[in-house]
Amino acid sequence: MTAENPKQDIHEYLAELEDIPGTRVFTAQRARKGYHLNQFCQSLMKEENRQEFRKDERAYMDKWDMTEAQKQALLDRDYNRAIDEGGNVYFLSKLFFTDGKSFLQAVGTMTGMSPEDYQAMMVAGGRSPDGVRSIREGK
Amino acid sequence: MARITAGVATSHVPALGATIDHGKTHEPYWEKIFSGYEWTREWEKGEKPDVVILVYNDHASAFDMNIIPTFAIGCAERYKSADEGWGPRPVPDVIGHADLAWHIAQSCILDEFDMTIINQMDVDHGLTVPLSMMFGQPEAWPVKVVPLAVNVVTYPPPTGNRCYALGEAIARAVTSYPEDLNVQIWGTGGMSHQLQGPRAGLINKAWDTRFLDDLTADPQRLRHIPHIEYLRETGSEGIEMVMWLIMRGALGDKVKELHRHYHVPASNTAIGHIVLEPTP
Repeated sequence: MTAENPKQDIHEYLAELEDIPGTRVFTAQRARKGYHLNQFCQSLMKEENRQEFRKDERAYMDKWDMTEAQKQALLDRDYNRAIDEGGNVYFLSKLFFTDGKSFLQAVGTMTGMSPEDYQAMMVAGGRSPDGVRSIREGK
Repeated sequence: MARITAGVATSHVPALGATIDHGKTHEPYWEKIFSGYEWTREWEKGEKPDVVILVYNDHASAFDMNIIPTFAIGCAERYKSADEGWGPRPVPDVIGHADLAWHIAQSCILDEFDMTIINQMDVDHGLTVPLSMMFGQPEAWPVKVVPLAVNVVTYPPPTGNRCYALGEAIARAVTSYPEDLNVQIWGTGGMSHQLQGPRAGLINKAWDTRFLDDLTADPQRLRHIPHIEYLRETGSEGIEMVMWLIMRGALGDKVKELHRHYHVPASNTAIGHIVLEPTP
């Protein structure tokens, strides 16, 4: 068996994670920045919290120790901004579902495409990795 | 003596669960996915496994940002379906096999895999969708389940090599369990998909196909694929495929492929499904 794995340098490892076009890998740095935002999202797993949130989104969010920028990104349902603010898509999905939106509908909004065009792209086989593998190497 | 008789892998897209729960599996879009599981549903009726070790990832349901275990094994008697924001899926409770689970936990820890032991948790679509794909909508699931939750959300997740080696340790644990049990191990998640940012919707059929091929032809290559390759080639959520390597590692050196299904898309995701049998 080849059980040995070459040990990776953590700095090189983390630098490479930032080299992917249009992608925010959920690193420790993002996890720390987004801690309260993500915990807010997870609270929407309870029906009573969803009801309270729907009644007054702003008031419910004010109970959480989020920055103004984080709250505004969520109020705007601007998921790219929410991810830039440390959000993770699986936590954000609790908000998608609270809104009655599917992953397909919510994820498509992050691409700048219309819902119809995004759905059509997926049915046609999805987005090719060609040209979006590496920022540094432009391939 | 307990024995691992087969490995099954499948994507676990939440929309598949919703499609089953709402009775829409015969709609043309979904039928192309579900038809690829009919072979396995029939096969499972003949195999009648006693227990499934179900490798999956929790999607911010049982584990929030407060506790992030790399490998967590469910040792509870039963698990309820999680409310992921639209109410819990209407599926039966998942019945655990606490005795086998504790045995695996103890054995793996002595084997130097530092497992987290979970005695109470709800299980989300990552675990319930694969059960639905294989068993449909029964009154009660026909198997007991040992949930094995892997962190693939907060970086770094475990390496592919570590996952493979954990699979090998699980196999050693199962074969040292005295009761005569027919055990399957399932690896779930994947295949290529990206659920975030302007690059969302990424699919890489060529890469996925080679991964499926090499589960049989060259598993030693798969265990050394670095995280960055999953991210670049298969999208940010394609990393879930490291969980398939726990399944593969538990099956031993050689396997025979019994069934395969691949389809794009289900929602944002490439559906991959394979059934493997260990060979002497």
